[in-house]
Amino acid sequence: MVKSELIKRSPLRIFEKALKDNLKKGDIAVLASRKGVGKTACLVHIATDKLMQDKHVIHVSFAPRVDHIIQWYEDIFKEIAKKRDLEGALDVHDEIIKNRVIMNFSQAGVTADQVLSSLEVMIKQGNFPADIIIFDGLDFNKVSREDLQKIKDFAKQINLEIWISASLKNPEPVFDSQGMPTELVPIFSAIDFLITLRFEGANVKLHLLKERDMVHKMDMNLILDPKTLLIVEEE
Amino acid sequence: MKSVEKMRNIGISAHIDSGKTTLTERILFYCQKIHAIHEVKGKDGVGATMDFMELERERGITIASAATNVTWQDYSINIIDTPGHVDFTIEVERSLRVLDGAILVLCSVGGVQSQSITVDRQLKRYKVPRLAFINKCDRTGANPNRVKDQLIEKLGLNAVFVQIPLGLEDKLQGMVDLVGMKAIYFNGANGETMRIEEIPAELKAEAGKKREILLDAASMFSDELMEAMMEERVTEDLVIQAIRRGTIKRELVPVFVGSAHKNKGIQPLLDGVIRYLPDPSEVENYALDLEDNEKQVLLTSSSSKPLVALAFKLEEGQYGQLTYIRIYQGWLKKGDELYNPRLRRKLKVGRLIRMHASAMSDITEAGPGDIIALFGIECSSGDTFVKPGLNLSMSSMYVPQPVISLAIDPKDKKASDNMAKALNRFTKEDPTFRSYVDPESNQTIIQGMGELHLDVYVERMKREYKAEVVTGMPQVAYRETISLRADFNYTHRKQTGGSGQYGRVAGYIEPLLEGNYEFVNEIKGGAIPTEFIPSCDKGFQTAVAKGTLIGFPIVGVRVVINDGQSHPVDSSDMAFQFAALGAFRETYNKAKPIILEPIMKVTVEGPTEFQGNIFASINQRRGVIISSAEDGNASTVEAEVPLSEMFGYSTVLRSLTQGKAEFTMEFVKYGKVPASISETLIKEYEEKRRKESK
Repeated sequence: MVKSELIKRSPLRIFEKALKDNLKKGDIAVLASRKGVGKTACLVHIATDKLMQDKHVIHVSFAPRVDHIIQWYEDIFKEIAKKRDLEGALDVHDEIIKNRVIMNFSQAGVTADQVLSSLEVMIKQGNFPADIIIFDGLDFNKVSREDLQKIKDFAKQINLEIWISASLKNPEPVFDSQGMPTELVPIFSAIDFLITLRFEGANVKLHLLKERDMVHKMDMNLILDPKTLLIVEEE
Repeated sequence: MKSVEKMRNIGISAHIDSGKTTLTERILFYCQKIHAIHEVKGKDGVGATMDFMELERERGITIASAATNVTWQDYSINIIDTPGHVDFTIEVERSLRVLDGAILVLCSVGGVQSQSITVDRQLKRYKVPRLAFINKCDRTGANPNRVKDQLIEKLGLNAVFVQIPLGLEDKLQGMVDLVGMKAIYFNGANGETMRIEEIPAELKAEAGKKREILLDAASMFSDELMEAMMEERVTEDLVIQAIRRGTIKRELVPVFVGSAHKNKGIQPLLDGVIRYLPDPSEVENYALDLEDNEKQVLLTSSSSKPLVALAFKLEEGQYGQLTYIRIYQGWLKKGDELYNPRLRRKLKVGRLIRMHASAMSDITEAGPGDIIALFGIECSSGDTFVKPGLNLSMSSMYVPQPVISLAIDPKDKKASDNMAKALNRFTKEDPTFRSYVDPESNQTIIQGMGELHLDVYVERMKREYKAEVVTGMPQVAYRETISLRADFNYTHRKQTGGSGQYGRVAGYIEPLLEGNYEFVNEIKGGAIPTEFIPSCDKGFQTAVAKGTLIGFPIVGVRVVINDGQSHPVDSSDMAFQFAALGAFRETYNKAKPIILEPIMKVTVEGPTEFQGNIFASINQRRGVIISSAEDGNASTVEAEVPLSEMFGYSTVLRSLTQGKAEFTMEFVKYGKVPASISETLIKEYEEKRRKESK
């Protein structure tokens, strides 16, 4: 399969269709789940799909090391290429990694301002025309509504979209009766799109809970493939 | 001659400027081999003993590794001082090969830096167990806890304190030994007298806590210790044995603290070497059986087995060539006959030497595990010596291809002779350094792993061999390759009186993903007689040796021949070689040839305030930033940058960051050259050929 066909047939098109009103520049989308459900894989899949469309991605992480994040990208790319028998996979790979930068902040208590100022340096001085920024592992216990607003303003100013993963750490109940993550309630209004990943039976299912001002629980008909952790259509 | 249990072969690996040479110097001092301590950049002009090359002395870095033997508490310790710069990694790796254990030195302020990561990766590759020594605890800003955490987070090591410092920065007095639960102080002008006391009251709680962590970690390797902990009858010996087991399995890294410069912590570190690092018999080493398809053969540290030894380092001494060898198996005596399987030659052992940094003592024999030196042996680094009758070779070390070349011209006749001598020596010492005479320009070309690598050899030529040379512009080692499959059907025919030449070859060439060149014979029915198939292969090999785009070797090509024709009289070896050469040249352009260039992995470390400048500098060099990592005020940027864009980067980086950033680079892969640059290179090559043909 050639790249353009692969993009067309990606399950992420279903994903986008579910978010009828597509993400606009300056929007914040949050992917929330408990730890270890597959958020990073999901984000990396979303990022790889954007990269395939020749978009520029900055992946912000807060891990002690960056090599395992690079490995995530390698694994997800390999799985996609294998699944779709991508033509010229090596060249596509070499081409797309040029449009990806990983920025890691390992210092405990790094502030939103610090992160945003480094991002600005990368985009402006590093001449990196980012279209999407992914925040993987942002600690929502420490992020205030103001911080989120700063990120939003930054995204608007630079004209990019933001994806954030939220690892839900609060004690039970993690989700309220509507399926809403209790931990995100204080910052709820700053989020434009909220998607949760939850086990339903043996599968991890994706639900859309917030779409701008609309709050409802919508089954996206997507699950995470238990083997590859890729987003796939529910059969 | 010590028994193998009382022997240690260790290396001291570190980031540049973390105090490795000073530490080595202090170790030599405490082992009473030398009588005065000199600084690396000594005001007394003597310089540290290990780092005896004048050039190194001037730069304050250690380039060549030298082996030295010391005795500590009845144990014989061979120390290999490993070089710290990445451009010289082959030297580091060659040293690591012969080591059984290492001390990873870290600066208590700088912590785990890019070089430490490189060095640690090498230690992992060669499966070397290690101790960590957090040096410079007397410096302002010393933070051993942070460094220990970095060992865990950045290097993924199971690092655990076996000591904690008594005071820090200018208040550093000594350390608390968490195994014996005692405080250690250092008295005397050079800290040579250790004073053991009770742990000061204010440190007792912390020491207790850290000891618990240590015991928990160590007990993973000893059920005995775990039981003893539950029954509260832990002995010092049980703890030592457990840590030793974990360290040798490379699943635990005991962390020591101190300050080599202030003479604090060296003796306990030496005790640690003996306690926790393996003796040669505890490390598995393999040789390859050259008579059995290079099958691995396990060597044993037994003196009754036939000798197997590896030459890992050559040095030109005052009295001729000195060859450092590590004996893996068997016994070596003066006058013994040895066999070098690579040269297929026997040799006789003349003088056997045990080396101190720049002094030596004659010995008559050496046993398994030992590191010694031989005089007057003709060989190259990496050669194996065995007892005649054996045909074993120590596994070949990974030698990367050189990525950069430089034309050098001697200034006069005398310099020319000396240069030849120097090149002969250097190429034998360092397999990543090569030299040849370019048949077209008649210039001497040297090749190596980076700009600094070649710079150092040019300087050594000048200093050690009095060979003044003029250098050209550094040249990147480009490669050519094909991107499409293309068919060929070529006839070579020549009739010039007498017997003619005739050969036809047909088939195709296609991109080969792994490897440089592959020849496949698919001819059925004898269209080309069997005896001429190797001639075709040879012809194609001649063709790929030099591409027609820019004159660099062609890589990644599979040649398949499936048809052809011969003539009963006019076909010959030469005719088919020419036919193959012609076929390749004819079809090469149809296969859409492209130019490849070496891409380096560049790691830049510096204060976060300069991150913007660093990003910009990489961007200007066609670099791809892979990642940036911020930790407080320190920032590390990893990027892939074409080597051709990296010339002079050290100067640029220095000026961009007020000298506060540093970088390392190593070769990662060959990458496609962008079209615009490709065109320029092709034009330049055509221009050059036009000039030459005039």
